Amino acid sequence: MMSQHACGMLFDVFSISRLVVLVSLVATTAAYGQDATTRAEADRQRRAAKNESLEPYEPGGFERAMHFVEDRAVFIVGREGFYPKLGSLTTGSGFAYGLGYRDRDLFDKVAVVDLWAATSTRRYWATEARLTFPRLANKRLMVESWAAHRDYPQEDFFGIGPASVRADQTSFAIRSDFLGARAGIRPLPILLAGGGLEYQRPRLGRGKDERVPSIEQRFNAFAAPGLAQRVDYLRSTAFVELDYREPRNARRGGWYRLDFSRYADRGGGQQTFNRVDLDLRQFVGFLAERRVLAGRLLVSTSDAASGAAMPFYLMPTLGGNDTLRGFREYRFRGPHGMLAQGEYRWEIWSGLEGALFYDAGKVAMSRRDLNFDGLERDYGFGFRFNTDQAIMFRVDAGFGSRDGKHLYIVFGGIF
Amino acid sequence: MASTSTSSSAEFFRRPAAAMLAGLLSVAAASAVWSAAPRFYPDDPLWSDDDRAFDASKVVAVEDGNGYDFAVNTFGHPGERRDVRAMNVNTIDEVPDSSWFTNRIGRNAITVADVVRGPDRVDRISLDGWTVSGGKSTGVQPGFRMTDPRGTLHQIEVDPPSNPELASGSEIIGTAFYYAMGYNTVDVYLAEIDRTNLVISERSTIRDPLNGKRRPLRRSDLDDVFDRAARLPNGRYRVLVSRFAAGTPLGNFRYYGTRPDDPNDVVPHEHRRELRGARVFGAWLNHDDSRGINSLDMLETTNGRAWVKHYMFDFGSILGSGTVFAQRHRPGNEYIFEQRPGWLTLATLGLYVRPWMLIDYPEVPPSVGRFEAHAFEPEKWKPEYPNAAFDNVRPDDAFWAARIVARFSDEMVGAVVKKAQYSDPRATEYLTRALITRRDKVLATWLNQVCPAVDPRLLAEGALTFSNVAVDARAATPAETYQLQWFRFDNTTGTRTSVGDSQTVVTPAGRAPAGLLDGTDYVGVVVTARHPEHVGWMRPATFFFRRGGPRWTLVGVERG
Repeated sequence: MMSQHACGMLFDVFSISRLVVLVSLVATTAAYGQDATTRAEADRQRRAAKNESLEPYEPGGFERAMHFVEDRAVFIVGREGFYPKLGSLTTGSGFAYGLGYRDRDLFDKVAVVDLWAATSTRRYWATEARLTFPRLANKRLMVESWAAHRDYPQEDFFGIGPASVRADQTSFAIRSDFLGARAGIRPLPILLAGGGLEYQRPRLGRGKDERVPSIEQRFNAFAAPGLAQRVDYLRSTAFVELDYREPRNARRGGWYRLDFSRYADRGGGQQTFNRVDLDLRQFVGFLAERRVLAGRLLVSTSDAASGAAMPFYLMPTLGGNDTLRGFREYRFRGPHGMLAQGEYRWEIWSGLEGALFYDAGKVAMSRRDLNFDGLERDYGFGFRFNTDQAIMFRVDAGFGSRDGKHLYIVFGGIF
Repeated sequence: MASTSTSSSAEFFRRPAAAMLAGLLSVAAASAVWSAAPRFYPDDPLWSDDDRAFDASKVVAVEDGNGYDFAVNTFGHPGERRDVRAMNVNTIDEVPDSSWFTNRIGRNAITVADVVRGPDRVDRISLDGWTVSGGKSTGVQPGFRMTDPRGTLHQIEVDPPSNPELASGSEIIGTAFYYAMGYNTVDVYLAEIDRTNLVISERSTIRDPLNGKRRPLRRSDLDDVFDRAARLPNGRYRVLVSRFAAGTPLGNFRYYGTRPDDPNDVVPHEHRRELRGARVFGAWLNHDDSRGINSLDMLETTNGRAWVKHYMFDFGSILGSGTVFAQRHRPGNEYIFEQRPGWLTLATLGLYVRPWMLIDYPEVPPSVGRFEAHAFEPEKWKPEYPNAAFDNVRPDDAFWAARIVARFSDEMVGAVVKKAQYSDPRATEYLTRALITRRDKVLATWLNQVCPAVDPRLLAEGALTFSNVAVDARAATPAETYQLQWFRFDNTTGTRTSVGDSQTVVTPAGRAPAGLLDGTDYVGVVVTARHPEHVGWMRPATFFFRRGGPRWTLVGVERG
């Protein structure tokens, strides 16, 4: 937003010439006015004076720039056809940029196709093709399919379980291919239930983060289950989702999702496991909904005994800009995990919110340890640039953890 | 603003040296005028401003965007902000008819039916035989365009599913009121539409909302509109039908400056009485969207000469409507960006509570949206962002507008609300009551900031009568006393010479001192009033009379 001073400078460029015109107009009017014998004639003479000094309309630089932004730039970002893919690929990927192609009214608005490829400042890259039929059967049925490749060269790994230590930080690379489809029915506008299938082909490699050792230099296959295997999975899922947030960047309402996944090992079954994720988000607005209390409870559990049959890279993680914000990304991993987050959000101006937050969570090696004992905690504050529909950009600063202070600058929202 | 003379000059005036230079030159020029021109011309007061006198065919369109309009008005402070009398009023402090404004209820005795009818040409409208002729590419309200069998273009808009009748009702009510006040508005109607029977013209196009490019309109584009529309129990849709104004679109006008390419546009818009006074109307009707982009300029041609007609446009978010949802709490109470409350909120982590957050809105039908009258404080009301004309409002401007508001009787208010055809009678009843309450608050606020003496008459033998509009509007109890100071006026030099002592009367009447009316063509009287609750009544109203044969005619009014 242009500052008042800058704006004033912009206008001043035109001031001198305008003043000359203004004074000339007044003076000319005076000259004409001396001869008028009626009010109507005096008024006419005033207009006659202006008629002799008409100027074409000339928009200023700021006005032209704003017109460009409003008429063109908006469509460049959200445009149909080729578009710039900007944002983030995954937690910790850094800022991503790339090129996409989309058609959101395919088959006369029945389907959406979206193809993109992007890389990031931390040399992550990914590509994806997705075909979605979001409004079949009078909006009661959605179907989508996708194929994707992701190449994440420096994912963090600190060990499994709640006792992992920061000094053990390593990195690993993971390249994955995905091919999947899912369908959902919407018996009510706020309720979606369905299931899907996805073929996953993850492959691990040496971590590319030069600041820390690669994973195999510090952990073996026992400490990092799945490190030594090359496993393909067929993931079958069933889910139910209730969404009654108002508006989408919620000020009231809730969003609840229960997700069941079976990861079937296509190479013999030893690595087969089931995972259940429950994500509950609740929003309570007050003071004209310009203040919001937001709460989230996330629980993830699996039937993998002691993590032996569940590869570490498919375990739930905690730490980073959207979970435990006082910790590094992926700071904790385990076969089971839980996270509780609370935020107090207050609107400063339309489009800018402040937030105070508190996060607590843990990972566990067994389900019975999934309780409120020994939770990792942090707190902090943040600022969000938002619309009614989404948070576009946020800055969160996390404190109070045993991991020190963390600042996150994120193109995107939080729960 | 490069486009306007006054906006840039306003920036210039912030510099002391430049301001002094400009002031000296202006004074010198003005002196020339005043030294030669009489205070009152023979044809004063003028009731028609011939602002179609010169051909304006070279005017180009100015179409501001939301972002630009917000930014420039919020941070740029365009236009000239100073305490100066409105520049387009006639000598009796009224607004003459022009391309901007036509005196209707303010000057003429119009009926309830006239107010209800507004600009409409017909009583009701049927969409039989109409074709869909294009998409709607501006504004947030979903809609499209249709052409009637005679080829006239109309805009069709729907209401949000969450708030049936909300935006259309507001548009109907706002149009009727603003038209009766005197503004140019397009005619609007309510109709029902059956989406399955819509016929799309082969030539109809739409600006694709996804990429901004124009392409043929498809059935699915209409589906998108109706997907976001409130559906009637009979499966049809209530729609608002707005007739396109005649002429060539020139975009919007601005509430500041003048069009540099329009020879007829000589009064800076921030100094136009009807634009300043729109703040009063905006407060009454909660027209928080009172901004340049909700206006419309059209180039019309009469007798071979082109001229610009200025419209007030888009009342879909007045009253309790936010167009596609019930109005939020802030609009009408605080600008989108206002420094002080924002910094306070930031510094106190939200413990500072803006007063409007505590307003308790009553439970009302969804068609009403969010609208109330009890917490309403007219002087604190604000549009979405600063408006140069509104910022220049003086007590005399507000008084002028409030007098117009006072002309809307309870019956008129009720009849206009009824025109919106709310299906729930509680909506009609509530809105009527709220508007009447808000009207009374508007009158109590702005009729009492100056001496409310109006309609003075000076009879040949010297008897003076006048009215107290605040008392007549039940916005105040009668004055304790009125003070009258008579004077003789020299129209050539502008000199006033007091005659006699100040008179104190208890009723709105008086008598000219003996001898005052003899041997002179111009006399005047300064009226002030004393009221324990209204100090504004001490602000004088000055009336000038001119001899016209045996009668005296009101020729000048000054307030404040």
